Amino acid sequence: MRRAPRRKAMAVGAVALGTAVATAMLGAMLEVGDRVNSELRSLGANLMVTPKSSTLPVEIGGIRYQPAAKDEFIPEAVVPKIKSIFWGLNITGLAPSQHAQTQAGGRQIPVEGVWFRRNFRAPGGTTVSSGLRALNAAWRVEGRWVDDPEPNDRDDECLAGAALARRLGLQPGATIDLFGEPFRVAGVLSTGGEEDDRVFIRLEVLERLTGRAGQVDAIEVGALTKPEDAFARKNPDQMNPTEFERWYCTPYINSIALQIEEALPMAVARPIRRVADNEGRVLSRVRGLMLLVALAALATAALTVWSAMAATVLERRYEIAIMQATGAANWLVAALFGAEAAVEGAAGGLIGALAGVGLSGWVSRTVFGVRAETPSLLVPLVVGMAVAVALAGAAQPLRRALSLEPARMLREGA
Amino acid sequence: MFWRFVIRAVRFRSRRLVLAFAGLAVAATLATTLFSVYSDIDRKMRHEFRGYGANIVVAPAADSQTVPLQVVEKAERLGAAAAAFVYTIGRIGDERVVEAGVDFGRVGPLTSYWRVEGARTAAAGECLAGSAVAAHFHLAIGQNVALASGPCMLRGVITTGGPEDNQLIVPFNRAALDAGFQNAASLVEVRANGQRIEQVREALARAIPAADVRILHAVAETEADVVLKVQNTVFLLAMVILAITTLCVTGNFSALVIERSKEIGLLKAIGAAESKIAALFLSESLVLALVSSVTGYGVGLAVAYAIGRSVFTSAPQASTTGVNFAVFLPVAAVTILVAALATIVPASRIWRIEPAIILRGE
Repeated sequence: MRRAPRRKAMAVGAVALGTAVATAMLGAMLEVGDRVNSELRSLGANLMVTPKSSTLPVEIGGIRYQPAAKDEFIPEAVVPKIKSIFWGLNITGLAPSQHAQTQAGGRQIPVEGVWFRRNFRAPGGTTVSSGLRALNAAWRVEGRWVDDPEPNDRDDECLAGAALARRLGLQPGATIDLFGEPFRVAGVLSTGGEEDDRVFIRLEVLERLTGRAGQVDAIEVGALTKPEDAFARKNPDQMNPTEFERWYCTPYINSIALQIEEALPMAVARPIRRVADNEGRVLSRVRGLMLLVALAALATAALTVWSAMAATVLERRYEIAIMQATGAANWLVAALFGAEAAVEGAAGGLIGALAGVGLSGWVSRTVFGVRAETPSLLVPLVVGMAVAVALAGAAQPLRRALSLEPARMLREGA
Repeated sequence: MFWRFVIRAVRFRSRRLVLAFAGLAVAATLATTLFSVYSDIDRKMRHEFRGYGANIVVAPAADSQTVPLQVVEKAERLGAAAAAFVYTIGRIGDERVVEAGVDFGRVGPLTSYWRVEGARTAAAGECLAGSAVAAHFHLAIGQNVALASGPCMLRGVITTGGPEDNQLIVPFNRAALDAGFQNAASLVEVRANGQRIEQVREALARAIPAADVRILHAVAETEADVVLKVQNTVFLLAMVILAITTLCVTGNFSALVIERSKEIGLLKAIGAAESKIAALFLSESLVLALVSSVTGYGVGLAVAYAIGRSVFTSAPQASTTGVNFAVFLPVAAVTILVAALATIVPASRIWRIEPAIILRGE
């Protein structure tokens, strides 16, 4: 075993390189899906929670043309309950809001009372912060955001939509009268959407101005979900108990919606299809792509290891013949070479797996700027695979070498 | 004589060479696959984002209530999909409802996320209802909706989770008539190619100063971000994988030379020049490299095509152009270079081999 260190080193090196490819690919594959999923969350809420209502909202661009029923709202106090549902950890953001409108610049303008980034006590005792800002990472504000970690209903700051600000000539630092009170424009928000025509103030301030204390008209919720498949689209009412349990315990958008409705009986939770469906589609494409590229790389890595081992055995046909000629039983030779292949596979596999973890971590840091978490199972799995492939690579030429007549082999020479 | 050596070498040592060949062919396959996938990923990923609908919105300018309809044509001339919308308040019985006018001929690409029961489009005298509207007024498909400005036949019910759920959707001209708009819309939505979005926005803003042309930042930026990151991941992985396979191949080829010290000694003993022997090995490697790069290229294209097909099946025009023929030259060049380098480096041993010592035995 200790002889021919150069050849051994080459075999171990080949196995290590192949394994490094495999590990890097597997690591990246597992990582990229999750990363892209959280990137896609910057598109905003994928669930809209509204009070159960008997009237139809008649609303164009945030202006209501028919007053909402007085007793239909979600109590602000129950909002944190959304974090307590079965998939509560997958809720990445929630933003309750109350809607109103007021006269400004000779026109009705919609005003939203919201949480910008509010600290609240989640069920379970931990303090979480969430709101509009966390939910809409892609929104841009010129000036600064309104900061509202704690409630303060005397605050006079607001965020003005860009189109509205242009129409009324507002800059950050300017003043605007809303409901007869002066508000300071902290920042100008530009999203490109309907928000550009609105004004955002703190939820508790709007509650005071409208006299609707503790009443919320809508909660936008962002949740990390599993892309919908055929099973997700089944009607939960027609499932048998086992199916229902599996459906309920999978983070599909519909099962999260159902769990929110269970936690907030006065509300309806509807998936925002534009966000939710496309999220699933893009995500499954990225995952599929990485999976196939990983498979291609895995196949290559296996071939590399296999050929390296086969080459080692081929080179040593001469030795095998001598062993046979000197009376070694076939199984003994096979065991000897097998053990050697296994040791080389394990050594190379370990080096390669560690290098591969490093490489996939580097890729993840470079591209996503986040430290990758490599699942601990990956390294033993890959080392096991390396040993198996090394043995398989050695097996075929070994069998051939053993089946040859030693005399013929030796006469032919190496 | 020289070529006979090369050909014989290939013939006699076929098993050993097959291994070297396989290694190199695999490297070439991988290079082709990864670079084909990489070169096409931008277009294909962006294609997947089209389902998000509009990425530019044209809204009325500050002092106006409407957007001129010519925006739609202008956007289409810029190669973008565009559709006009009108919103007005209609009445069913004594209740009010939002009446949305939609240009069904154009809106298709912008509303692929609509979940529809029944028909997706409505002709004159027909309409679609948002799910909340349908539930509120107990409307069924095929029924006449008693809209105050004239009844319409319900063709479908749509669910989006957005404002459309609370709207009654009628053909554009009908809603424009009810709203009293002439050649104008409440809003025009535009879906531009993500790579050209800024140009399209500028061109529209310049052509129609009487409107507010906005990019939907969330859609546009998330798309750019995700596409870029996926692309970078594939690129970095491709580089890592290629570097590693190249190292493997180098080892393989060096072994070809090292193993044959005996033959080299023999050749030197019978008077062959060192450079001639080196050329012999080099041409053997180059033949191998050429054959394996062609093989690898063919297989790699097939793999890239298969990946493109099975991952991005929903992109009809993308599946046919999933392979990139421009990849061949660099792949062949790199393969040959690697093989040459992997031979030349150990070939320096040829000069150092002492025939007498090598031929005597171990």
